[in-house]
Amino acid sequence: MIGPVAPLVFVVDDDPSVRKSLARLIATDGYKVETFASAREFLARPLPEGPCCLVLDVRMPGLTGLALQEALAASRNRLSIVFITGHGDVASTVKAMKGGAIDFLTKPVNARVLLSAIERGVSTDRQSRQKQAKIAELQDRIKTLTAREAEVFALVVTGMLNKQIASDLGISEKMVKVHRGRVMQKMRAGSLAELVRLADQGGVMVAKP
Amino acid sequence: MSDQNVSLWAVYRWHVIVGGGLILTQACLIGALLLQRTSRRRAEQSLAEHLRFERLLSELSARLVPVSLDAVDVEIERGLRRVAEFLGADRASLLEYLPDRNVARVCWAVEGVARQSSIVGADRFPWTAEQLERGQVVLFSRLEELPREAAIDRQHHQDAGTRSCLSLPLSAGGSTLGVLSFDSIHHERDWPVELVQRLQLLSEVFAGALERKRVELLIAERLRFETLLSEQTATFSSLSPTEIDRAIERALRRIVDFFRADWSSLAEFSHDSRMARVTHSWVAAEIPWVVARLQRGEVVRFSKIDELPETDAAVDRRTYLRLGIKSQVAVPLKGAGGLLGVFTFSTLGTERSWPDELVQRLQLLGEVFANILSHRQSEMEAQRLRQSLTHIGRVSTIGELMASLAHELTQPLTAILHNAQAAQRTLGAGAVNLEEMREILADIVEDDRRAGEVIHRLRDLLRKGDPEFATLDVNDMVTGMIRIVSSEAALRNMSVHLELAPELPTVWGDRVQLQQVILNLVLNGLDAMREQGTGARVLVIQTATDSSATIRITVRDSGPGIDPADLDHIFQTFYTTKPDGLGMGLAISRSIVEAHGGQMEARNDPDGGATFSFTLPVGGPGQ
Repeated sequence: MIGPVAPLVFVVDDDPSVRKSLARLIATDGYKVETFASAREFLARPLPEGPCCLVLDVRMPGLTGLALQEALAASRNRLSIVFITGHGDVASTVKAMKGGAIDFLTKPVNARVLLSAIERGVSTDRQSRQKQAKIAELQDRIKTLTAREAEVFALVVTGMLNKQIASDLGISEKMVKVHRGRVMQKMRAGSLAELVRLADQGGVMVAKP
Repeated sequence: MSDQNVSLWAVYRWHVIVGGGLILTQACLIGALLLQRTSRRRAEQSLAEHLRFERLLSELSARLVPVSLDAVDVEIERGLRRVAEFLGADRASLLEYLPDRNVARVCWAVEGVARQSSIVGADRFPWTAEQLERGQVVLFSRLEELPREAAIDRQHHQDAGTRSCLSLPLSAGGSTLGVLSFDSIHHERDWPVELVQRLQLLSEVFAGALERKRVELLIAERLRFETLLSEQTATFSSLSPTEIDRAIERALRRIVDFFRADWSSLAEFSHDSRMARVTHSWVAAEIPWVVARLQRGEVVRFSKIDELPETDAAVDRRTYLRLGIKSQVAVPLKGAGGLLGVFTFSTLGTERSWPDELVQRLQLLGEVFANILSHRQSEMEAQRLRQSLTHIGRVSTIGELMASLAHELTQPLTAILHNAQAAQRTLGAGAVNLEEMREILADIVEDDRRAGEVIHRLRDLLRKGDPEFATLDVNDMVTGMIRIVSSEAALRNMSVHLELAPELPTVWGDRVQLQQVILNLVLNGLDAMREQGTGARVLVIQTATDSSATIRITVRDSGPGIDPADLDHIFQTFYTTKPDGLGMGLAISRSIVEAHGGQMEARNDPDGGATFSFTLPVGGPGQ
């Protein structure tokens, strides 16, 4: 749950006393809490490196909670969001959940319900961060491949034989073998099966045979 | 032979003497024995009687000591019966002195002997009462034993058929509470000293019961009074001015009942305190026969009470006698809807006649009063209607604000819950930081106050009742209203600007109604800006002195303005341009402003938007 570094929870609510009490309650579970009076104020803050979760009031003057969710999605920042609302109407609930919200809670929120939603939010965020990190690392490895090696890599993972690749690329089968050995080495893959999996995770476009 | 004779006597003389002596002695012995047996039987009898008395005493104490207030008279009667049977008396009674110089009596009598009435005047046995008052027992075996001074007592005893009587004073704590008396009706009898002494013991048990009854009655009476007092206090604390008159009359009625008085009135002094005018009164008068006639529209008149039918109007006759009314004429006041009231003239000191001509004149005068009454009734009805309409208008206005008011209330409640749960969790974890706890509690208190304020504002607006006029600060009123609508405006991304003139003179009016007008104009303004596509959505509220005698409050929006075709009709009832409007808001607002002596107007601004404004006269009470 809570690792060596405490996960960060952001609270965005225009009401000062609700904001303060939310921060206080969330902090009892060991989270680090930062509060913001408006969506704009939150957007001005650079996003953190570690796992985090956003607790967001739906109804706020200016940019509403739902608008902030859209803005974040547009900037490809997939944050875990727990919505809190005074009176939950079906339309905004549906919209928030479709937008990938962790939960949509109605005020006044029970502490256990709120904290369990935040826990889920943080763990979702941590998983997606790990995945992102892995992808980034794979992409770094892919970047070390030469143009030819990349071509060979893309074809190998489709299950083509060396002979076929050689004829496809117009090089000798021996060269294919050399490139293929380098790819396995640079991608740190022990077997073809593992290379295929890495290609899948790394988002390598696989040319269909 | 004589010698023989002599010798015979001589020979048997001693025998005869001794024998005779023996017989005599024996007779004496037998006699003494018989005497002893009789006295022993008597002693035994007296012992048995003594025991019976002891048992009676303890039995009575057991029943009379723990008795409750409502059972005390029944138990006393049962006790009297037991004592009378023990004594062989024909009638036993217990008289209790009441505060108003009367006595209440509990009585028991053997079959065939009349019981005595329960409430009697204390003056029937003056001499006896005097003796008893001094703590003396009064007894006689024959009526003739009563002294000359007791002539009245003797007469009343004779009337009651009493031939012998024993009366014992019942006293407790130094005062005489009553009398315990036993009568012999069928024959004359003695009252031995020993018996009287025993009965004095018994009388203490009865005195104790009376004392307790008196104390309990006193407490019950005090409680009834406390209840009366607190009920009246509660009733009057929540009344509007129009309800007060009726409530005062109801209260007078309760008070008259409580003190068992006949008539009660409340008079108000005039400004110069030289005259008092009776404003409310209540007469405990039951006159069913007269009322029935009046309700049929008949005039009722009598020159003396004897003119009222003896049986049909028996209750009425008693009431008039009690109130000291000697003659009366009562004229019914008839209106369109039936009987409105009654117009009454009475004489108290003397009897007098009410000739036909006079009655006809009174009837004419009665019509004048009937007109006034019916006019006032319809006026009051109209006022009531106006008030409920105003209230409905306010309720529907607030209905529009419901969502944002609910939000206003949910916020502090949410904060309170979160703070309390944070405190619970902190305490549960065992790490108690006193400073933090103090902060949490302070925040809870603050949020609770905030929630209370929202409710208070709402309750003020939803209050139903008569207008309450007071000196008002217009700027205060506007600011208070803005607090209610500001979150609504913020959510609609509209802003409200206040341009309040400093040092405005005060106005005289009903805060709730005037706030209703402002709220209505502000909400209309916000609604008008809903469709506005471009530009800042700003509502400006302005207060200013209009002239030396009036203040003007202006609400200007940046919406599309009022369609010129609608401009002439917007103040009409049920005229609305909103799809879900009732068409009452502006009509009610204008009637409120006019009732305050002001005027309301609407116009379009040359640069777009609409302006609503109203004036209020400057001033205090009586202006």
